[in-house]
Amino acid sequence: MPPSIHPVDLIGALRHKHLTPAIVFLTSRRACDDAMQAFQRSQTNLPPARQQAIASVLGQLVEQYPSIAEHPLLPVVQRVGVAAHHAGHLPSWKIAIEELMRQGCLDAVFATTTLAAGVDFPARTVVVTQSSVRKTRDFTDLTIGEIQQLAGRAGRRGKDLVGFAVVTPSPYIDLGVITKGLTGQPEPIDSQFVISYPMVLNLLKAHPLDQIQAILARSFAQFQLNRRAEQLECKLDQLHVQMEPYGPRVCTDWITQWQVFDHARKQKASRVHTRQAGGTRLAGPGRREPPELAARLHFLTPGRVIGLSKGRGVVLRQYRSKGQRSPTVTVLRPGGAVTECPAASVTQIFDRIFEVEETPAYPWCTGQSLDSLTHQVSELPVRMPVLPILVQEEPEESEIVQTLTDEFPCPTCPSRPACQKDHAAALRLRQEVHRNQKTIQALHTGLWHRFQKRAEVLQQRGYLTPTCRLTDVGEWARLIRIDHSLLITELIRADAFSGAEPQILAAIMASIAHDDDRPGAFPRMSQGLASLLGQVRQLAESLAPDEDPPLLRADVAALTERWIGDPTLTWIGLCRVTTMAEGDIYRLLARTLEYLSQVYQLRETHPGLADTASKAIKVLRRGVLEELP
Amino acid sequence: MTTDELEKLLAEQPVSRLHRLAHGRVYRHFRLGKRRLIETLLRCTPEQRSGLESDLQALIQEESGTQQPARERQKPAISRTGRSEWSPAKPASPVEPEPAESPADLTAFLEGIGVPEPKPFVPDAWQEEALEALAVTDVVVSVPTGSGKTYVAIEATKRAIEAEETVIYTSPLKALSNTKFTEFSRLFGADQVGILTGDRRDNAQAPLLIMTTEILRNLLYDAAGGEIDVRLDTLGLVIMDESQYIADPERGVVWEETIVFCPTQARLLLLSASIGNPQDIADWLTSIRPTPCHLIRHHRRSVPLRAGYLHPSGKLTPLFRSVGIPRAPHSPLHPEAKRLFAQYEEETLRPGSR
Repeated sequence: MPPSIHPVDLIGALRHKHLTPAIVFLTSRRACDDAMQAFQRSQTNLPPARQQAIASVLGQLVEQYPSIAEHPLLPVVQRVGVAAHHAGHLPSWKIAIEELMRQGCLDAVFATTTLAAGVDFPARTVVVTQSSVRKTRDFTDLTIGEIQQLAGRAGRRGKDLVGFAVVTPSPYIDLGVITKGLTGQPEPIDSQFVISYPMVLNLLKAHPLDQIQAILARSFAQFQLNRRAEQLECKLDQLHVQMEPYGPRVCTDWITQWQVFDHARKQKASRVHTRQAGGTRLAGPGRREPPELAARLHFLTPGRVIGLSKGRGVVLRQYRSKGQRSPTVTVLRPGGAVTECPAASVTQIFDRIFEVEETPAYPWCTGQSLDSLTHQVSELPVRMPVLPILVQEEPEESEIVQTLTDEFPCPTCPSRPACQKDHAAALRLRQEVHRNQKTIQALHTGLWHRFQKRAEVLQQRGYLTPTCRLTDVGEWARLIRIDHSLLITELIRADAFSGAEPQILAAIMASIAHDDDRPGAFPRMSQGLASLLGQVRQLAESLAPDEDPPLLRADVAALTERWIGDPTLTWIGLCRVTTMAEGDIYRLLARTLEYLSQVYQLRETHPGLADTASKAIKVLRRGVLEELP
Repeated sequence: MTTDELEKLLAEQPVSRLHRLAHGRVYRHFRLGKRRLIETLLRCTPEQRSGLESDLQALIQEESGTQQPARERQKPAISRTGRSEWSPAKPASPVEPEPAESPADLTAFLEGIGVPEPKPFVPDAWQEEALEALAVTDVVVSVPTGSGKTYVAIEATKRAIEAEETVIYTSPLKALSNTKFTEFSRLFGADQVGILTGDRRDNAQAPLLIMTTEILRNLLYDAAGGEIDVRLDTLGLVIMDESQYIADPERGVVWEETIVFCPTQARLLLLSASIGNPQDIADWLTSIRPTPCHLIRHHRRSVPLRAGYLHPSGKLTPLFRSVGIPRAPHSPLHPEAKRLFAQYEEETLRPGSR
């Protein structure tokens, strides 16, 4: 049994059962392209009449979008009536495929699940081959909403009596996820409100500071937070009812009294216990360590470099199993050995911590971090700073006794037995009430605090006055309404682009705009761009506490520099210098265009820069990039 | 047949036929080359031998009978039990009955494929309801994909343009904007439709403007800051397509900003795929907008949907016991689909096989 059905067979089977036209959702662009290659090799041709129908539609489209004519897949599509449609293609090609599909010329389209929302054409059948989709780094299961979105493409209104969602297995499938997706109710959606710097500037431009909280309260985010707060308030009411019997007694704050008393009593009890266990202070179920060791325990955390009587090592975990009297640490020694040793045998604690990704089982961290740790342990410097550890002395016996006798007035109190009986439950309830109150408070003011935090950063950097009015800088900075706006405005303020060529400006914008880490091989960049990109990197790093730095890929910058620096370069020529997919290059340049036009918005305050941007825009928008509005 | 004869016969066969023969007999046969396939096939026990020989003969006959290669490949191999699931020389009738365990099921499943009679378009009740409500207030529509949201958008636009109001239509993707631009230009005439992108404005004075949500958000910010760009005072209707994007981790905030800052005299039409809590969205709009929001939601599809399971061998069965898709979680799967998938999992996901 092959792991999944061969694409040619799949379409054959669908054709045979009259289930075409179909959209086949595959895992990756690669899979779509492979499927097309399989068709290229195969001998299943359409009847000439249908080939001609496709050719005539394509002919019309080519007039509108000349770039289609050069597409390498054109002859195959025409011959077999099957096409691929994914983010690696040019938009014009995707439009052509959508048009062919709408006119019913094609039998099947291979598309990726990742772009299901962008697949805006129906078919009789939808084929699902996977139940998970790649999001940023790893695969996540498709949600019910997503599966229904996929399946929803099946069945064309007015053209079909029935639509079909066909599942065919592949190694990436979990049938349970798909059946649940087909039958279930879609998930509720949650607000994803974030407060960005341009939002703060634009809000403060239009509204005085004292209105902002009310405006934020109108967001869907706050609406949903209020819902949660309401639920918690209901719970809080219930808790208050439960608290009723524990109201003020002889003394108003008897719960706190008993809390203090209880604490002192416990400390005393354990001390007495240790005495009875016979001299050794380490023993006993109270598990009391000498203060030096107790202080150290806080520092024996995973990743900490420690010195042992022989050699050094890195702590992987600290634990204390039932049978053991003393706390123990698991240590990674140079050479990769993992050993256990009592915490008391640790001689030194160094001021050095390595990154560890912990796992709950042996070897207590992921294989990857074990490898890197082993490497790091063997390359430790000879001398390392030792961590000074402050040992906290235990409270003296007499102090505890004092608390017990002096500050505890209960022995003569009439309600003492009742208090003694209730105080544990009352304390628990009271803690719960406090916790709920705090959460409710946070739900109501969270957005406002986030706004204030952003505004504070903008004040420090001079975009806002201390009274939260826009400064001159803020007035123009609010026009930059894109991701990484802080980095861009700071670059403009630092005059980083003064005298820069249009291609250099565009290249920098491209490296800021591009957020995809799909690899590829790219051309070299010029000296000027390299040095400027270095500066941008430095600045981005220094802004890191306030704004996540962009990827700042040098290779996409170099690609953009090529396209703008050489107006005679054709699209095919550009594609030839890189392994990036056409669609990705298009998206990179389109996004760069968007960023440049934001810079162009600053034409009143920064005429020179805006001029450079408009020059770059003019050169950038040629060939394929001019086809669509 | 002696071993030598069989070996010779096997060696004469194309390797694809050998794979079909080996299917169900040899573990992970698709990893083997022709020589090793023959070796492993010959290693079978005497009891299995006769079955192997007869299957081989059947395969040779079956494939010499048909000409079309595509049709050929999709036919399943002999199943494990040695029983042929596919009658070999069937004439290629349009809908071939499946002589498997559940013939009735598959015919019922495939029944009714075809093109409906062309009939005059009659809007659904919910579409009428949406348009009626839209005359006075904001509307949230949450219905399955492909059930006619676009009709509501077009009809609402038509009415707004007749009332000499400006309409803004937003979509999440530039590609969708372009598609809609072409579609609406065809419907309303090129002079009635404009498109705004980050760096270009075509026909920005037209009564119907198409843009991405980000562009509208920027317009609204400019308007709030005192720099009026497009005639927002005549704005009568804002249509937000694919508004389930409000839950997008990166861009969802833009939808919220747009809705919060949308001028109060304009009505909002939020079109969304099926989501779990459209009532929440409607309640939210009611709480921040001048008029109470009208919610329209349903799960009916205008074209009924059925779910099937296609085995890698080319065998198609219904996925669920019922013909349509059941509306309850944990609905029972069709026994045949269940069996085939279990077999698939066992064969491909065995530890170490991947």
